[in-house]
Amino acid sequence: MNRNTFLIMLHSCLLVMVFSVPEKSAAAEVIFDRSSDSLKRGAVTFVNLCMLCHEMKYLRYQNLLEVGFSHNEVDALRKDKNIQDPLQSSTAPEVAKLLFGMRPPELSLMAKARKNGPSYIYNLLTSYYETADGVIQNQVFPGISMPDVLSYSIETDPLVRERLEQKAREVAVFMEWAADPNANQRRNMGYYVMAYLFILTFLLYLMKRKVWRRLK
Amino acid sequence: MARLINWIDARFPLTKFVKHELTDYPTPRNLSYWWNFGFLAGFVLMLQIISGIFLAMHYKADVTLAFDSIEHIMREVNYGWLIRYLHSTGASAFFAVIYIHMARTLYYGSYRAPRELMWWTGQGLLLMLMATAFMGYLLPWGQMSYWGAQVITSLFGATPFIGDEVVIWLRGDFTVGDATLTRFFVLHYLFPFLIVGAVIIHLVALHYVKSSNPSGINLADKDNIPFHPYFTVKDLYGLGLFLIVFCYFVFFQPEFFIEATNNIPANFLQTPEHIVPEWYFLPFYAILRSIPDLLGGVVGMFLSVIIFAAMPYLDRSSIPGGAHYRPWYRIMFYVFIVDILVLGYVGAQASSDLLIVVGRVATFIYFLTFCLLPYVSRKEEQWLRKRGLPAEIEELLQQESLQQQKKDNV
Repeated sequence: MNRNTFLIMLHSCLLVMVFSVPEKSAAAEVIFDRSSDSLKRGAVTFVNLCMLCHEMKYLRYQNLLEVGFSHNEVDALRKDKNIQDPLQSSTAPEVAKLLFGMRPPELSLMAKARKNGPSYIYNLLTSYYETADGVIQNQVFPGISMPDVLSYSIETDPLVRERLEQKAREVAVFMEWAADPNANQRRNMGYYVMAYLFILTFLLYLMKRKVWRRLK
Repeated sequence: MARLINWIDARFPLTKFVKHELTDYPTPRNLSYWWNFGFLAGFVLMLQIISGIFLAMHYKADVTLAFDSIEHIMREVNYGWLIRYLHSTGASAFFAVIYIHMARTLYYGSYRAPRELMWWTGQGLLLMLMATAFMGYLLPWGQMSYWGAQVITSLFGATPFIGDEVVIWLRGDFTVGDATLTRFFVLHYLFPFLIVGAVIIHLVALHYVKSSNPSGINLADKDNIPFHPYFTVKDLYGLGLFLIVFCYFVFFQPEFFIEATNNIPANFLQTPEHIVPEWYFLPFYAILRSIPDLLGGVVGMFLSVIIFAAMPYLDRSSIPGGAHYRPWYRIMFYVFIVDILVLGYVGAQASSDLLIVVGRVATFIYFLTFCLLPYVSRKEEQWLRKRGLPAEIEELLQQESLQQQKKDNV
């Protein structure tokens, strides 16, 4: 194989690598709908349900505008809170500690703090089950303090279960966004950067060839 | 313009310097792309310093604020995420580039006379780089930052007689805490400038002895070409290729080199299930864990890094051309590379009975390679000479002695 063939192969490998590898190398079993609507529904579920106990201290209500909500929609979500306020839970941490034995974890970074975070969150939320003794347990996290907020374990109607699973996926998508709100900007910028670098490197290659040809 | 340059030249050797170090600097024309990595290391060093300075403008070296200040950088500082991902990915890139640079030196025997000082300053640079990276890793104050620092600083407890005192002295406290974070931050900021100083020494030595080259001999004048423009353009092309890979990680896989657990703030009450160092420390960490005795493990780990310095003495062969013309050495080189990869894998896994055995065997092979080298390299040369050196080597040796005669006559 001569050098030029090798270099062309190298360049094309890099090109393929950039455009083919998915952003999150998720364990692939869960397919997420990352559309704006799904993300917004996830945000609503998060604010109305998860935030009964959990908080996202690195996010403010105004950040929800970036998800695609209008000002009015954010106003409806924040109720009496200021738009600059962080996403705090409605249960005081001391009360939550009394109820559940621990302070519910802060969730801004949860989607990055576990391997394949979004899949982990989805699996956790949909792994509640009822044991023979009528106790609610979780397969992913045995002994978890968090109750089955979606009431997934006691739901038998497959259609409703399906809907709850979708809800869990939406929450996971929102948490993924919350852990890395600049991901879209980063990727969009990345395409331009890569395109620029490919052109620049190709030109440098031509220049190198031209300069070195003087030696022959 | 010419007048200005004349004015400067009368007071400062500007033109002379550019001529001597760039436009007239003789560089072997046969350098392969493996010789690009020194320049790349210099580039990454500058990248790390510049991105680091901007991060330091927003970072807070205080245990109650450190983690939050990173999130502040990631979310609220304009392009803070970009600066931080450049810096965190840059650390991995730095080690990748340096390891390749070292592997090239080992393969081609570039550490041989008269380049021992290049190899040893490089060794010093590696140690400083490791210290800098280790201290930098504490700064985000995540779970892995904290527990990694806890584990590594506690290793110094193996120091005979004064172990406990040394650990407290390093941490500035009984455990890794605010005092540790502050001093690690200060030193993490200081060390890169010491590294720059050491790089200058490395380069002064380089420009004195000149680059090694794949043939392993000092080439005749006609085979040397000026650094500029030939190698400036070649280095820039290499930089382009490097940046493609680098920016791919920065923009599309920025968390690839960041342990998920480090996105949880440090918690001294909760040890993570599995404490792992960054990938670039894994082989050495595996050696540490493979030796059953703590002191032995620590000594083994440090030895595994600094043993490279002995290479100019361990390699007794005078056959030029690096591993290319030395079949036994070549086999040893590749076995060693595979061995390091095995150690890296073992270092990343939770220990199991099988992996302990694998780790011990790999550690044994690691040191055995160095121990056997003096013997193997001498025997190999005898064997090669006995069966008659290939024509290419004879030619190289002849050229070299011609060069030497010329020099002696002058």
